Amino acid sequence: MGKTMIQKIIQRASGKEVKPGDRVWCNIDLSTARDFAGPNCVLQFDKETEGKGKVWNPDKIAFTFDLEAPSRSEQVANNQKLIREFAKRQGITKVFDVNWGIGQHVLLENGLVKPGWVILGTDSHMNLLGAVGAFATGVGNTDIVASWILGKLWYRVPETVKIHVTGSFKKGVCMRDLLTKIVGTLGAGGLIYKAVEFVGPTIENANLAERITLCSMVTEMSGKIGLIQPNGEVLEWLKARAGEEVVELAEAIKADPDAIYSEEYEFNVDDLEPMVSAPDAPDNVKTVREVAGEKLDQIHIGSCSNGRFEDIAAAFEVLKAADFKIAPGIRAIITPATREVMKQCAQAGFIEKFLAAGVIFTNPTCALCTAKHYGTLPSGDVGMSTTNRNFIGKVGKGSHTYLASPMTAMASAVRGVITDPREIIG
Amino acid sequence: MAENILRGRAWVFGDDVDTDLIYHNKYLAITDPKEMAQYSFEYYPGKENFAKEAKPGDFVVAGHNFGCGSSREHAVYCLKELGIPVILAESYARIYYRNAVNNGYPVLVVPEITKKVKDGDELEVNLDTGEIKNLTTGEVMHGDAVTDLEKEIMAYGGLIPYLKAQAAKEQK
Repeated sequence: MGKTMIQKIIQRASGKEVKPGDRVWCNIDLSTARDFAGPNCVLQFDKETEGKGKVWNPDKIAFTFDLEAPSRSEQVANNQKLIREFAKRQGITKVFDVNWGIGQHVLLENGLVKPGWVILGTDSHMNLLGAVGAFATGVGNTDIVASWILGKLWYRVPETVKIHVTGSFKKGVCMRDLLTKIVGTLGAGGLIYKAVEFVGPTIENANLAERITLCSMVTEMSGKIGLIQPNGEVLEWLKARAGEEVVELAEAIKADPDAIYSEEYEFNVDDLEPMVSAPDAPDNVKTVREVAGEKLDQIHIGSCSNGRFEDIAAAFEVLKAADFKIAPGIRAIITPATREVMKQCAQAGFIEKFLAAGVIFTNPTCALCTAKHYGTLPSGDVGMSTTNRNFIGKVGKGSHTYLASPMTAMASAVRGVITDPREIIG
Repeated sequence: MAENILRGRAWVFGDDVDTDLIYHNKYLAITDPKEMAQYSFEYYPGKENFAKEAKPGDFVVAGHNFGCGSSREHAVYCLKELGIPVILAESYARIYYRNAVNNGYPVLVVPEITKKVKDGDELEVNLDTGEIKNLTTGEVMHGDAVTDLEKEIMAYGGLIPYLKAQAAKEQK
């Protein structure tokens, strides 16, 4: 019987023949923690090992500082210090401090992610690494601590859902809009406990940034992982970062033609239009046209979902078409995912233009994924963001957020109200 | 096994209760589980006073996909520390379920429970058999406890004690 990608990955990592529903122990290739929950892991590890324990393999552990970077409170500053000291004590050298950016993206750029690898992190969007065929999951601190002690973790082998995508995006429409459409169609619990394979010509031709966007919101459907078979330019990019072996590793996870899927969905993007997740849930999906004209107080472009160079470049094109002017009174914030992305933006001449237009261009960080970061919304304000969650009060009690593409967010900044980007760049 | 029969008041929540509603991201920097309890459900509309009003032994009842969103284990610790002995939901989000199992915290899957239990109803829950009686209405429901490896992990009180026990066995 044929195997899906996730079955092949778990088979390698567990050394067992597996089928959906099985419980197995997998060897961990990389176990990471960030500045949030990371300190909880450190404290728990020290407690469980009475302060004398050594981690199973310091070379397979990494820390990233991204949720509050640089720190803005004594509490977080102390938490971050706790991690630095632990890493030093344990001989863990892969510490990406507050100057690097969003964890998963930093790990990718530094060649620490390979197809078929089993990766952990204290970030529920770890699974966006499925964009290069890695099996990464977000977990709590107990799972991380167990992996640091043992180098292994328990898994339930998931069923796989296949999502087949065809067609080409029209101008002003992008992968984020498809993703929003998918979340709206499948719902918040639509992929509960399941793995997804994104396939079809639209996916095969997608760049890395688009693949990351797509895989980043599998969590918003309660899925375990979204996987894309690395090919073409993405595979070349990965080879340059992570070494020649990625080609062989990618080959080893290819789904068999007779693999069994629990469900299959078809999407065509030819006639897709710009979409939003309206307040207060990612699966409260509408077209931009349906909500156009609503006044916004703030827009934010960034996050692990849409913070790459291509995302910011798309927003730049919209601003350019509007003669580099945003509406008076609106607060527009752009946050690159990583330092590398920020450098790309500087080299392309974007930052100067953004600043001239009155856009706030920040250091790389998770930014508006928490209410503790800059850009927190006051009660009654309405924002638009390219992040992945707009739960009730998430970025400020009494505020509401629309989730949209970088193009829609910038078009809305230009007009000060929710705006279909095709009206500006059409 | 009388100690495994619990009685308490039901607090009923809806579908897709996300981790920001259970334990808001504002308090993520806290590392001591005992400090977390006071913030339980602070952002849940209409249940902002849950942490103050809920008594140890009360039950959290919820619809589908309970605990969706973030991987924060704080969202399990806060309810455990508050003395909520078990969660009764129609289904759980993946990470929340793992975090509960890893802490030996009972989570029962109870089909359609939000249709059969109202806020304030008195419930009796038998953790051994999974039988749930609504003492207010008389209705009886059945909850499925965890099975397979999860059951084994729970029996040891969580993942770390389980691993320690396995390691001790191997040494013998």
